[in-house]
Amino acid sequence: MSVDRRDFLKLGITLAAGTMVGPAGFALSNVSSHANKTNSNDSLINKWGMVIDIDKCAPNCNSCVDACRKENNIPDFSNPELDIHWIRKVKFKQKHVPEPTERSLPAMCFHCEDPPCAHVCPVEATFIRKDGIVLVDKHRCIGCRYCMVACPYKARSFVSKHVNPENANNPDVPVRMHGVVEKCNFCVHRIDVGKDPACVEACHANGGGGMQFGKFNQNDNGILKVVRGGKAQQLRADLGTNPKVYYVGI
Amino acid sequence: MAKTKYTKIDGSSKEYWGLFGITGFLALLAPLSALYIFVNGHHVTGMTNQVPWGLPIVMAVYLIGASAGSLVLSAMSSVFGKKEFKPFSRMAALLAILLIIAALMAIILDWGRPDRLMLPFFYFQPRSMFSLNAILYSAYVGLCGIYLWAMFNDKGKLEKLLGISAVFLAVLVHSGTGAIFGFVYVRELYNSPLLSPAFIAAALSSGTAMMIIMIHGTFKLTGRHVDAKLIYSLAKLMGIFIIVVLYFIFVENLTRAYAPKNYEAVSFLLFNGGKYTNLFWVGLLGLGLIIPMSIVLNPKTGKSTLFVLIAAWMQLIGVVIERYIIVIPPQVLPLELFPDKQITSTFLDGQIASYNISFVEICYSIGLIGVVLFGFIVCIKLWPMLPTEAHYQELD
Repeated sequence: MSVDRRDFLKLGITLAAGTMVGPAGFALSNVSSHANKTNSNDSLINKWGMVIDIDKCAPNCNSCVDACRKENNIPDFSNPELDIHWIRKVKFKQKHVPEPTERSLPAMCFHCEDPPCAHVCPVEATFIRKDGIVLVDKHRCIGCRYCMVACPYKARSFVSKHVNPENANNPDVPVRMHGVVEKCNFCVHRIDVGKDPACVEACHANGGGGMQFGKFNQNDNGILKVVRGGKAQQLRADLGTNPKVYYVGI
Repeated sequence: MAKTKYTKIDGSSKEYWGLFGITGFLALLAPLSALYIFVNGHHVTGMTNQVPWGLPIVMAVYLIGASAGSLVLSAMSSVFGKKEFKPFSRMAALLAILLIIAALMAIILDWGRPDRLMLPFFYFQPRSMFSLNAILYSAYVGLCGIYLWAMFNDKGKLEKLLGISAVFLAVLVHSGTGAIFGFVYVRELYNSPLLSPAFIAAALSSGTAMMIIMIHGTFKLTGRHVDAKLIYSLAKLMGIFIIVVLYFIFVENLTRAYAPKNYEAVSFLLFNGGKYTNLFWVGLLGLGLIIPMSIVLNPKTGKSTLFVLIAAWMQLIGVVIERYIIVIPPQVLPLELFPDKQITSTFLDGQIASYNISFVEICYSIGLIGVVLFGFIVCIKLWPMLPTEAHYQELD
């Protein structure tokens, strides 16, 4: 048998049509929903965010990370590949430069305005609260881990072991559940009662005090003022995810 | 043209019950391994927070591809006018259904919470390929079933219409599967518009390879006659599909390699990625694609059943390797938090991650293949799936 030209053409056209219709439709709906957003410059207003001055962030200081682990009962699996990280210190140095200085910054979930994790979640377990916090509903998460693959910032961890709730120090946070994905939630249980996230509190108490948390508010001298100045930058702003955590001094 | 007759198999021989037992045992491995993973937590698998998707996802993607490929072959006679393949259309459609069911098992049992099975059907997130695929896959299983029913009842026009719709849906289903990865814009080795069409090309080549092996095996074991020429023409078809697969791999890697920002990712895959580089050149390109293609397109070896079977096996395994190379290395490569900086952290930022397949994942994957084979030998006993004989001369 030989596949004659007409058949091959037919096959090709069917394949090409099918290939394009699906993804094209979804992509277009994404773009059009973006276009419908009214004045996207205002989208930050009244959302929670953070500005971190990394000149105040000492490479050997770990107080934000320690505070987070304590506050959120983060277990120690003693296995770097499986350990859960809500916030971590990232050390970095310039590429293509001889003998660059090593510096560091704390990285957590950046609570993106356009979060890829929420977009890929098949069950809307990851969602954005009205105040901009990206949350995971651990009772709805099916543990497919698509969000972990899609997150550009490695902000997410999978609970791959059972954790005994009796070992938890802080009763204010929900009991950890195995088989789901979790991440930093800006200590939502604290900010809802008017406190700063644990990392920010610890940064001011024991660290360099470089972390500044608050709402992007039009009329005060908080984080929006710093961001307006133009010296604060997001990580991987090129991806268009629009993180709500900004860094000064990178 | 003489009408093809289909009969059930007798299924009373010792050999049948032997196969029934073996494949049934293998099929049990899938739910048992999944249960083991669920009870202990995913730390017993090779998955980590660096490489969240492992072998089960590779298998899922592979099985979906093989399903789409066999469905296209099933519709070859009614949709594409390749009447000589008519005798195989029922068994190919059956395999398409079994393969997609195994694929769905692979995905669902790999979840951290397979107990929340129904949630993707209650909630819908139009931007999530998983959410869309939940709909596409279920529609596909249903449509394949109706298509098979139409074939059983000789529905003529309706069968053709259903065949066309099923092929269309198969293409959509597998494009959607490619898009799961292709849409991940943050990982250089995933993000590509070519993934969807490349997935379909590999689906067709591996689906054809699987059909060659299944036709040869089933006809031999049930003592039915199949004209070797039919196997050879399937083999030639496989060769053509492999050329398309090779073309996509060539274009995709060359395009990617052109941009300086991708140098690290591309050189990892193609030159210094250790086992991944070996898998790419030796496993995929050499053993999985070029050698089987040369065998089936060579006029001499392409007309030898033994050589064709060897080529089909090589291609079948080659596409598993292809899926592995698509799914795993992009996760192994570190995310570029700062494209212009070197990074390190306690969370293994900036480091090449490792993924080691665990024993339980291997059992799980073998179990999924067991599910397909077990389903197949049960169904050919229950329903008239196999033709009494398949002659090349039956052509008009």
